[in-house]
Amino acid sequence: MNYTLKLNQLLKRVEKPGRYIGGEINSVKKDPEKVRGRFAFCFPDLYEIGMSYLGMQILYKALNDRPDIWCERSFAPSGDMEHLMREEGMPLLTLESKTPLSEMDIVGFTLQYEMSFTTVLNMLDLAGIPIRRDERSESFPLIIAGGPCAFNPEPMADFIDIFLIGDGELLLPELTELFIESRDHGLSREEFYHKACRLDGVYIPSLYEVNYHEDGTVKEFCKLYDDAPFPVRRSIIENIENLPFPTEPVIPFIEAVHDRSVVETFRGCTRGCRFCQAGMIYRPVRERSVETILDLAEKQLAHTGNDELSLLSLSTSDYSRFEDLANALIPACRKENVSLSLPSLRIDQFAFNVLNQIQQYRKSGLTYAPEAGTQRLRDVINKGVTDEDIYKSVEQALELGWNHIKLYFMIGLPTETDEDLDGIAEIAKKIIDLNYKINGSRGGRFRVTVSVSNFVPKADTPFQWESQNTAEEFSRKHNYLSEKLRIKGVTFHYHDNTTSSYEAVFARGDRRCGKLLQAAFENGARLDGWTEYFRPEAWEKAFEETGTDRGFYTERKRSFDEILPWDIVDSGVSKNYLKKEAQRAYSAEKSMDCRHGCTGCGISRYVKCEQEGCL
Amino acid sequence: MSRYVLKFRKFGYVKYISHLDLLRVFKRTFKKTDLQLRYSQGFNPHPRMGFAQPLSLGYSSQYELVEFETVADHEPEDILKKMQEALPEGIDPLSCQRFDSNVKSLAGETDSAEYTAWIPVPQSQQGIWNDAKATEQVEHYLQQTKIFAMKRQKKTKKMVSSDIRPQIRNLSGRMILLLDENENKTGTWLELTMLLDCGSTSNLSPELVLNTFCSFADLHVPRYEMEVERKKINFVNKLQF
Repeated sequence: MNYTLKLNQLLKRVEKPGRYIGGEINSVKKDPEKVRGRFAFCFPDLYEIGMSYLGMQILYKALNDRPDIWCERSFAPSGDMEHLMREEGMPLLTLESKTPLSEMDIVGFTLQYEMSFTTVLNMLDLAGIPIRRDERSESFPLIIAGGPCAFNPEPMADFIDIFLIGDGELLLPELTELFIESRDHGLSREEFYHKACRLDGVYIPSLYEVNYHEDGTVKEFCKLYDDAPFPVRRSIIENIENLPFPTEPVIPFIEAVHDRSVVETFRGCTRGCRFCQAGMIYRPVRERSVETILDLAEKQLAHTGNDELSLLSLSTSDYSRFEDLANALIPACRKENVSLSLPSLRIDQFAFNVLNQIQQYRKSGLTYAPEAGTQRLRDVINKGVTDEDIYKSVEQALELGWNHIKLYFMIGLPTETDEDLDGIAEIAKKIIDLNYKINGSRGGRFRVTVSVSNFVPKADTPFQWESQNTAEEFSRKHNYLSEKLRIKGVTFHYHDNTTSSYEAVFARGDRRCGKLLQAAFENGARLDGWTEYFRPEAWEKAFEETGTDRGFYTERKRSFDEILPWDIVDSGVSKNYLKKEAQRAYSAEKSMDCRHGCTGCGISRYVKCEQEGCL
Repeated sequence: MSRYVLKFRKFGYVKYISHLDLLRVFKRTFKKTDLQLRYSQGFNPHPRMGFAQPLSLGYSSQYELVEFETVADHEPEDILKKMQEALPEGIDPLSCQRFDSNVKSLAGETDSAEYTAWIPVPQSQQGIWNDAKATEQVEHYLQQTKIFAMKRQKKTKKMVSSDIRPQIRNLSGRMILLLDENENKTGTWLELTMLLDCGSTSNLSPELVLNTFCSFADLHVPRYEMEVERKKINFVNKLQF
């Protein structure tokens, strides 16, 4: 069935039709007759969000570099388009060839945030693919998923055939080849699963069964296939220097959230903040060389005509040769009229020199993320920033003429009291005072923005056992802070309570959460990250229908010896380390950045940790 | 000064790219090739580049013009070749020529534009519509002394009814059979060719002609089933591209 005529008509009836047309510069077209495997890379959100995600561009290249695989893309349609697709009976298509997803060999989703889960189900449904894996025959494509949320795959286990956990650049093409090979040899899905599960990072939920205690906690994982691994070890690529990296990324026609060239400088982080999942699951730190980064940046800029370049990592200035890199990039970018953007800089003297040279930062304001309001709580979460660090650097920023300071905090952190909330207001107040001291009344246009998000305990972190605040408690704290932050020149933003509670359910949910997810989807939930599409009533109904006890997943504090749903996955960081870190948190004991010496996270059991003790 | 005009076609899915997005595509493409554009002076420098007339979202075109100035001098054939290589499918450069005119901008010189619209005749009316009927309907439509359509006023943004008849310079109709890409007949279509005022002094959108003509001729076809293509832009002062 050819959908071009119908698509052409629908495109005249929707907003931003450019989201659905494909054909962008550097998008890949292959002859379907000449490839052996067809892959649809799906991002469960709107086009302009998905196209800003570097990981998709990386994997798109990694797959398309293989001549016998054609990787295409698909995104979630917006509300108006979905409505018309359902009305007109048009299935979800790939952008490149306008082929229905159901005709692909493999459909792969990236799970970047929990609130995109219903959209995954919606995309399958729009493609005419049964959402539950036990309702899909082998004639349907293999449905796979990866990304940070795959570290606790269980809430999606009813819907996904295979999860890929960890670095995907090598694993994804390898799995795809294995699938093609198995199919061409006439192997059944089951036989293919038995081969695939031997690869590091491959979790196949149908090979396990989970039993529960009466109190609802996990009793045991039972293997349904003897050779299935337990736990499944994350795929780790030891050296990222020569991995496929896009120098000719797909360039969207319509404006994406980020419209710029991006080069990943390193993966992983040594800081050990106890709330941070990214800081745990991407260990160890693996860097690209300065030469490679410069080369990739130059090629990407030449092939895209972009006028902005950004570096990507968890902490830009922790790159071991950051000064060399910055000193090479700044003049190169200036020469080419390219603006350089350096996110998540540690604000020290060198950073100020750098920022001073990239002018546009004046406009956007300077952002700090102390995360907590008092030194005590910052020690609890192991955020190695002191009051003095903040004030000294703000003072310098003010002297250099910045007139907007943004502060990020989390509330609901373990051991938090109202005193810690007072601390947030105090920091804002002190910065206002500092400005007055330095700029006097002429600093009248000066602004401080305080953004507060709700703490969501995440799997594979030292806080994975912790209780999340109830919605009421969050509301009380928001009100408390609103009062305290009634300071001239201070703006206060906070995050919606409902979504952080749903997010928390899935961040630490088990397989039984699949029912809840399905019910929410069937009640109309999708694109939950968007205020205009978020339907809390669909969710509330789903909780009720499935009899799911929300508090069991959000507020309940787990004991250290409880079997956790994500114990099926070995992230590389040991449970002992996480426990030790949690206990240190309770006594507000800091742990050092492991570049000063190994803190024993356990990753070196599997790979060489290059940066251990390097400072 | 090296000033040029590049003529291109816009067709296929790219017709769903808006004017602003097309502007970005060209900016980026120039940056990608080594055809360095001259930038305007001032606080917020912009490349010196502009389109003769914006094209509505969803329209294809056989005749789009972009003018630009480059820092160094290039042979027009070189520019054409480089742009053909660098532009995406559906934006198809046809020719490039020097533009040594002292007019300020092409946009300021546009006078009229020619469009073709295709309207599928509904199943129930397929028997009635033939070339004679098409010609007759067009004649009668044009014979009206006034043709009122709702137009948005530029300044007040209010919708006002205004007579568009004086802005229609020419209109003709005939019936054609269109084939889809698998060469299947897709029924009878009415093809309307129109020449309309275009530019800063007087401008008429084909949408208003389509709208008023279809009600006049009792053709009830959803807008999304119709296709419109720009064929030509005409300029004052005999500018030709």
